[in-house]
Amino acid sequence: MRVPLTWLREYVDVQLTPEQLAERLTLLGMEVQGIEQWGADWRSVVVGELLTVEKHPYADRLHVTTVNIGSGEPLHIVCGAHNIAPGQRVPVALPGAVLPGDRRIERTEKMGIASEGMLCSGDELHITADAEGILILPAEAPLGRQLSDLYGDTVLDVDVKPNRGDALCLIGLAREVAAATGAALRWPEIAVEETGRPVGERLRVDVREPELCTRFVGRWVSGAAIGPSPDWVQMRLQTAGMRPINNVVDASNYVMLELGKPTHTFDGAAVHEGTIIVRRAVRGERLETLDHVKRELTEDTLIIADPQGPIGIAGVMGGAESEIGDHTTEIAIESAIFDPVSIRRTGHRYALRSEASLRFEKGQEFRLARIGADRVTQLTLAWAGGSVAKGRIDTAPAEPDPSRLAFRPRRVSKLLGAEVTAAEQRELLRRVGIETEEAATAQQIQVAVDPKPLAVPAGEDQVLVATVPTWRRDLAIEADLAEEIARVRGYESTPAHLPDTLMPAYRPSSLRVREMLRETLAGAGLTEVVTHALVSSLDEARLVWPEDTSEPAMLGNLAAQSGDEIVVTNPLSAQHSVLRRHLAASLLDVLSLNERQGRGDVAVFEIGKGYARVDDAPREWTRLAFLMSGAAEPASWNRTARPYDLDDAKGIVELLCQRLGLPAPSYVPDSRGFPFHPGRALVARAEEGPTALSGRIAEMHPDLLARWDLRAQRVIVAELASPALDAAVPARVRVEPMPRFPEVERDLAVIVAESHTAAEVEATIRRHGGALLRGLRLFDLYRGAPLAATEKSLAYRLVLGARDRTLTEAEVDAAVAGVRSGLESEIGAHLRT
Amino acid sequence: MDFESLSADLRALQQRALDEASAAPDPESLELLQIRYLSKKGEITTVLRGIGALPPGDRPRVGAIANGVSEAVKAALGRREAELHAEVQTLRLASERVDVTLPGRPRARGTLHPIPETAACIAEVFGQFGFVVYEGPEVEDDLTNFQMLNIPPDHPARDLWDTLYVDIPGHLLRTHTSPGQIRVMQSTRPPIRALLPGRCFRYEAVDASHGFEFFQVEGLMVDEGTSLADLKGLLDEFAHALFGPRKTRFRPGYYPFTEPSVAFDVECLVCGGVGCPACSRTGWMTILGAGMVHPVVLQYGGIDPERYQGFAFGMGVERIANLRHAVPDLRYYLENDLRFLEQFR
Repeated sequence: MRVPLTWLREYVDVQLTPEQLAERLTLLGMEVQGIEQWGADWRSVVVGELLTVEKHPYADRLHVTTVNIGSGEPLHIVCGAHNIAPGQRVPVALPGAVLPGDRRIERTEKMGIASEGMLCSGDELHITADAEGILILPAEAPLGRQLSDLYGDTVLDVDVKPNRGDALCLIGLAREVAAATGAALRWPEIAVEETGRPVGERLRVDVREPELCTRFVGRWVSGAAIGPSPDWVQMRLQTAGMRPINNVVDASNYVMLELGKPTHTFDGAAVHEGTIIVRRAVRGERLETLDHVKRELTEDTLIIADPQGPIGIAGVMGGAESEIGDHTTEIAIESAIFDPVSIRRTGHRYALRSEASLRFEKGQEFRLARIGADRVTQLTLAWAGGSVAKGRIDTAPAEPDPSRLAFRPRRVSKLLGAEVTAAEQRELLRRVGIETEEAATAQQIQVAVDPKPLAVPAGEDQVLVATVPTWRRDLAIEADLAEEIARVRGYESTPAHLPDTLMPAYRPSSLRVREMLRETLAGAGLTEVVTHALVSSLDEARLVWPEDTSEPAMLGNLAAQSGDEIVVTNPLSAQHSVLRRHLAASLLDVLSLNERQGRGDVAVFEIGKGYARVDDAPREWTRLAFLMSGAAEPASWNRTARPYDLDDAKGIVELLCQRLGLPAPSYVPDSRGFPFHPGRALVARAEEGPTALSGRIAEMHPDLLARWDLRAQRVIVAELASPALDAAVPARVRVEPMPRFPEVERDLAVIVAESHTAAEVEATIRRHGGALLRGLRLFDLYRGAPLAATEKSLAYRLVLGARDRTLTEAEVDAAVAGVRSGLESEIGAHLRT
Repeated sequence: MDFESLSADLRALQQRALDEASAAPDPESLELLQIRYLSKKGEITTVLRGIGALPPGDRPRVGAIANGVSEAVKAALGRREAELHAEVQTLRLASERVDVTLPGRPRARGTLHPIPETAACIAEVFGQFGFVVYEGPEVEDDLTNFQMLNIPPDHPARDLWDTLYVDIPGHLLRTHTSPGQIRVMQSTRPPIRALLPGRCFRYEAVDASHGFEFFQVEGLMVDEGTSLADLKGLLDEFAHALFGPRKTRFRPGYYPFTEPSVAFDVECLVCGGVGCPACSRTGWMTILGAGMVHPVVLQYGGIDPERYQGFAFGMGVERIANLRHAVPDLRYYLENDLRFLEQFR
């Protein structure tokens, strides 16, 4: 809320500089987010007196004036306005002046006559709404003075929190200033001179929804003359950020800013039969609102109607037909209290949230309906004339007494962790208008209101009872009073103290395993990225990462990690409208971005969530993905470049399995083709007890790279899922004693047809190696002469041994022979030794 | 052959052998000398064949002389061998000189992203004070994200959180980590000291200081008598750990789920409190929001608000990372330009 200090000072004396005041308000919870010098953009605009005003010799619509600006020769200024006459004081923009909107004023020539500056309208200075005539200043405005000295102001931008609707006005903030400084609050003098017939003869009000409109106060003014408000009113409204409209509408807006009470003024002639009905709209009703939009009203909308139909959306916006216009003379004034929830819903439904509806949403002090009606009437009479009908229509004249709230000073101290005496607490509350007294009888203490009210007997503690001012609708429980005491006392004085209460039980961090893997991956040369969880539905269509469940022998506890995608119903853009189920596409985006920056060597990983929905319930689980492209080892003076390939990715997966305490993963080719290279994609799996890891490692299909506009020829992507990623405790290592007996190494070169995979050969060796085979490593792969074109040779080193003895030569030979014959009979291998 | 001539032959032989040994140009020549003089068919043995012609009384003396010659030749050969080895080694080492100022063979290490790193750093500080990590769901239900946090439907405070909704009835993308407070309270009993890091979402246009996805860390402590002063003490330690010794302050804040609510400020990291554009000339920078857990929230968490009290705080991880690393633009984090990420070595 914009708070012009000259206006604020009407209600409270302020001895502080704007900066000091801003700090005090901020420390009281009314955060000042900015201090603006209003008028700072009127540079070289001074007060001048018109000496002569004559017709321009060559242009009917222009005048030539001479202006005394207090010193030097009078200026000759050509002006197009018609409201000027000699003797008036006016704002003069001197050559070199800069007006709002960065408009520069220079010495010019207009139709052959030199003009040494410009006379300004209120609109040109953003002081009033009048763009037609020159702003006429009071006769006592000192000649030659900078206009900003006279009409400049300091405006505080105060962020009033949603629970303090009562402070969303000048009186409310003046109350806070008074609390902070000890100064006295001055209410405006509100008195209405009633000279007309009884209001009941002009206006009838029928509230048919008393739940939604708890009070309606109506007033009537006859014979008003619509026109611009006095300049000082327009200036105030402008400074506070509100555009002046006319004297009656301005009166209503002025009261909203002053007292925080939104009211509405109708053209009385447009209110048929002088009857206002507050009801819900019926199906098919339409209303053109003040913004000249024709709206279809829904049945739950609370409206203001007359017997012929809607004339306004209650608390949100009036109707165009009953708008105060130039020819209006009869004015119906509405000052009502509406249900905050209803107003908020209506504002959202019609995407119409006004200054009025924002205040209604936060709740209104009940008394304000009456006070607001009187104040608007008073100002209308003052600014537009006419006569006020006698009395008010008031549908709920009984105003409730202030509520009383018991609290325990000792409890307040305990919450704040600071010893604040009861006497001090009472004094602090008194400063914000909360009177307190010793409890006369046994009191219940309101600890909570929602969801289930909780009131406890006060017990032994001293109890005080606070009388809560009617405007403080936010104070309902003991803790609310604690906050009042704390903020008026000043949070700066909160002592700092380290907790000395019991520690909670040990709980392992769910981040631990992920942190371990992150370190591992970074150590292996991959850089961590964090990408958006919200992705484009288009991206999803561009890369469909196969779901793990499509695999036949899916690992039990990973089965739940899939489902339908979750869609955002109000996305900011189509680019971020779907929760991702996998990370791979995001990594391709990272590659793309970095390629555009001229960076081709990219190795990145992300540990993030996949999201899906299963039976209308959300599911989330942690996934790990990485991408490699470009050089694994960039060229250096001491080595040649080596590009990333599938083996690098498999090596990373094998490393991850080691870190997770899983066995080496097994690989199964995935030859589905697009989006993968048909010959370079696989499913990797590792399983140990309840823990499993599963995922795909693939070189991406060139057509997919083309769709992503990637320059890279080869991009390897892997994406893995494992419950271990969400586990809090890393797998525990169990040590095996070092072998006491020597192990023997034997090398086997296995020549097999190309159709047999390495995984098959290895499985065959393991199957036949039996318990003595303690280690197996592929150390060479050979193709070429003297092998047939359809053959390859895989050279393995077998490590043989037993825990309880040294193997004899014969045992070793027998084991190797077993492996050989198994290889020969099962996969038609022959062997070289 | 007599003793004299035999011993003279041996001495001459010794002299020749020593001369030849010291002149041997390489290990191969030494090998040949070894064979020539010291082997079974070598010259010393050959000379000793004449020993049979000597009187028996002289034979041991000649034998002793021969042994001496043999030792001397062996020693000379050994010496020469060592010399030659040293020469060869010196030459080899000299030939192996490299420019030690050349750079090494690059070892690629990736870098870790500043968001999880900062979150881990925050968790580490509070971990020292007994705070344990919990994580809540990102697709949250309206009840936990709002209502149980004392933000009923149609409450004006909802304007503080522009929300992204999903196509699962009653669900939304959590707008803050605060619903985790409810989940922690429902799953454990006081004493509670919990830390909840995670990703949050809001309907917010992207600019240098806003994003629709961001990260928060929530803290919660509940026990009998946990007070605002405990909160201040802990946050002071936290600010000290992350930003070094500097002044801090509480000022009033507003959150529906805390009462009282505070904002926690530290002395401006740029100007040190004098006032500059970075701190809007206030001398202070707001680090996080906090407050005493609202009794309603405790009740929803199944905790008796008359017996227990506690505090909660929530901070933006990006905000902390920005301040620590002088990052000027929030968009850097989710953009993943390697030129940015690789600075976090």
